[in-house]
Amino acid sequence: MSDPKIEGYEFKPGYKGMARDTASDQTMFKGVHWGKAMMWIFLLSDTFIFSCFLISYMKGRGSTTVEWPNPSEVFALHVGGVPVPLLLIAIMTFVLITSSGTMALAVKYGYERNRKMCGWLILATALGGLTFVGMQAFEWSKLIHEGVRPWTNPFGAPQFGSFFFMITGFHGTHVSIGVIFLSIYAYKTFAGHYDEGKRGWFTSMKGNYVEIEILGLYWHFVDLVWVFIFAFFYLW
Amino acid sequence: MDETKKQDQTSTHKIGIYLWIWGLLFVLSFCSYMVDWFQFQGLLRWSLILIFMFLKAALIMMFFMHLFWERYAIVNVLLWPMTAIACFVGLMVAEGKYTLFSRLFYFFVGGQ
Amino acid sequence: MSEDFNDNKTIQAQSSETISGGGAGVTPDTDYVRPAEVADQDLYHGHSFITKWVFCQDAKVIGVQYFLLATFTGIIGLILSWLMRLQLGFPGAAGFMTAEHYYQFVTMHGMIMVVYFLTALFLGGFGNYLIPLMTGARDMVFPYVNMVSFWMFFIAVGVLLASFFVPGGPTGSGWTLYPPQAILEGTPGSGMGIILMCVSLILFVAGFTMGGLNYLITVLQARTRGMTLMRMPLTVWGIFTATVLAMLAFPALLVSAIMMSLDRILGTSFFMPTILKAGEMLEYGGGSPILFQHLFWFFGHPEVYIVALPAFGIISDLISVHSRKNIFGYRMMVWAIVVIGALSFFVWAHHMYVSGMHPWFGFFFATTTLIIAVPTALKVYNWILTLWRGNIRMNTVMLWCLGFIVTFVNGGITGIFLGNVIVDVPLSDTYFVVAHFHMVMGIAPLMVIMGAVYHWFPLVAGRMLSEKLGKLHFWFTFLGAYSIYFPMHYLGFIGVPRRYFEMYDSPYVTSAVGVNEFISTAAFLVGAAQFILIYNIVVSLRIGKPAGKNPWKANSLEWLTPTVPPEHGNWGDKQPVVHRWPYDYSVPGAKEDFIPQTTPPSEVVDTEVEKT
Repeated sequence: MSDPKIEGYEFKPGYKGMARDTASDQTMFKGVHWGKAMMWIFLLSDTFIFSCFLISYMKGRGSTTVEWPNPSEVFALHVGGVPVPLLLIAIMTFVLITSSGTMALAVKYGYERNRKMCGWLILATALGGLTFVGMQAFEWSKLIHEGVRPWTNPFGAPQFGSFFFMITGFHGTHVSIGVIFLSIYAYKTFAGHYDEGKRGWFTSMKGNYVEIEILGLYWHFVDLVWVFIFAFFYLW
Repeated sequence: MDETKKQDQTSTHKIGIYLWIWGLLFVLSFCSYMVDWFQFQGLLRWSLILIFMFLKAALIMMFFMHLFWERYAIVNVLLWPMTAIACFVGLMVAEGKYTLFSRLFYFFVGGQ
Repeated sequence: MSEDFNDNKTIQAQSSETISGGGAGVTPDTDYVRPAEVADQDLYHGHSFITKWVFCQDAKVIGVQYFLLATFTGIIGLILSWLMRLQLGFPGAAGFMTAEHYYQFVTMHGMIMVVYFLTALFLGGFGNYLIPLMTGARDMVFPYVNMVSFWMFFIAVGVLLASFFVPGGPTGSGWTLYPPQAILEGTPGSGMGIILMCVSLILFVAGFTMGGLNYLITVLQARTRGMTLMRMPLTVWGIFTATVLAMLAFPALLVSAIMMSLDRILGTSFFMPTILKAGEMLEYGGGSPILFQHLFWFFGHPEVYIVALPAFGIISDLISVHSRKNIFGYRMMVWAIVVIGALSFFVWAHHMYVSGMHPWFGFFFATTTLIIAVPTALKVYNWILTLWRGNIRMNTVMLWCLGFIVTFVNGGITGIFLGNVIVDVPLSDTYFVVAHFHMVMGIAPLMVIMGAVYHWFPLVAGRMLSEKLGKLHFWFTFLGAYSIYFPMHYLGFIGVPRRYFEMYDSPYVTSAVGVNEFISTAAFLVGAAQFILIYNIVVSLRIGKPAGKNPWKANSLEWLTPTVPPEHGNWGDKQPVVHRWPYDYSVPGAKEDFIPQTTPPSEVVDTEVEKT
């Protein structure tokens, strides 16, 4: 993919290019829509939020004198009497990565102005997200049934339940918000708002396919956070 | 709100690249799962978990989030603040160990 | 650069090569500036009263809204400080005040002043008004979200003030909200008070994230033609860097507020260790109070730079305009701001030397704290060198600038004492700390705010403020503030502890009483003196001398709008085109002692201007 064409500006590659871009007038991120830049910076901030959660978890787990529950056992699903460790989590990971893939394709088709493919892929992403949240809710209810509470649990250190519910809760909330936006954007895509540049209801700004790329960034971020939660909370 | 004076300038990639990365992500997730299945322990477990995690994160960021093709300015702006997080992580690992040590010392050894 | 200064050639056409990066060599057109990269911004214009003055998307209106709400909240903080000083100077004089009340006043005063007054004022107030104007943009990049951010701040203030009226009153844990005490009975406000405080902070962070995104992306992506980053006034650099810090530091505050609320509401033990309360073992266990301290100060230290950096930026511009001289070492001033901002993330635990954290951390943090003093000192030298041999206008604004330098140096030096681990041990939790942070975060930024008000009031209101009243206001405030905080250092040296309701029967009784009385009296006088400013503003709005365009003869873009005060969209038909930095004051050979940023090189052919 080549650099965007800007009249009067010569692009240089690598760090020389970065220095030139930073030193130039008007914009630092050449050809980057302001909405996309805003989403990236917001995601940077959100990364710090989740990092603080995970750091707190790591510090809490590292300093507990009471034994920490074994995640392989706690999160195992019993299939036909045989405990399969982390089965539900593996399925959830599969679903979320798939939805990330459909989202990336939706962005591609959006820029190609293929309204139908784009709309269906956004819906597929939303469906994946909804499935993920459903499975997360199932996992929560299973653990609550087994006696895991935010303030105590029968498996080990009481902080296990608190960190689990807090971190997966925040992640699940992010996924749910994503699903809501995906549904709205699927509607707007099918209705042709991005083709016509129709003005939005809240902001009165003209619609544009770059919004789908912006939502895509958010969705991939949600997947990225899951990669870290999966590794640190479930596997460690 | 127009990105550039010309509207439809963004060229797209072939579908193949997305499918390749998708496949790689599944492979890496499977490998992470195997770490638990085979019950590796200790340093081997932790290093494998971290390696697979960072590889997956890198693939998602570089290809799905498009950073591989973006100019360096935005890539650097996003990555350098992680050094503050890295510092925080390192220090909190040490703090966690110190807290555990002081608890074991004072509660069980009965230090004055 | 020096060879440009010495030879007598008229300025050559270098501008196009640098700006456009075309590399095509020198062109004959000296005034060439690259065309616009993006189309002109599509702005939403409100037509009803509600959409023009209440839910308004114009950053200037939003800036004034932030300014007014932050000032209102700050006045509440000021009243709280009077109540505190009443008790400290004349114990028992306020009959209604118990120890619990006192701690609640201490806590709310601190939180209001640091977060809801200073941060909101500098970023929301000055940031919203000045960033689009100084960068040549028409408005912020996402005006709708900008508008929402103010109303989030409004709700956050509402929730905070509501905590005064709930059972138990507001939290009395200190602005640092340390667990486990903050949520345990015995600390005032451990019921609803601390919950509302946490909720208010969460709302504040959400709102300021929205605002912060606007400030950052407007500076990075919406500058006008010819406006490079190194041609921006230092005001913008200061507010911009502070916003970067806000985006990265507020997450830690958010996380600690969330976890504290969960500890209180759900009985989790993130921060709560195994604990006895009056002989009774509580349900908590396994948590870590020091984790809260690390999270809080990971936010807390960048927070003080979020307050300080805009002040640094603004003062540079005020000094250079009113001494008719370019800021000395602009490039290094920019780097100093950026380096201070970056380093501020690596110094947080110098607030925790006596907390019982890992014993080796002190080495690391004391080192980084000393390092961060270097760029800060560099800035002080450069302010002084800007004044040196400048054509200084000794008006109200300049007086506030000088007051800033004096108080900031004072406060900064006492910071060196506290940054050293061993020296901090006897000084920690004494009035020495209180004196230090009030000097460096209270008085110095306040001097900047006052100076900025007198400087930019003519732009915002179209009228000048009274110089006589302004000078009176300055002298009362400056001498009064010094009278409050300078003696306080001595209280700290003799060990008088902070956050104490009274001294009871202690050895300090004889020596500290007189000092405390003096400080309290000074505090009341300084507080009263602020009414001079309010009177000045109210009267000048009606009968102040009309300012006209650019009364200070400044260079930066905010003074070059077609109408004063600027209207929605700022620039009328066409955005300005920038040809130079904002510090071309007293340029040898120029017709006037200032060259505005929009003046092209062809209009200054006989001067020896360095290419900027």
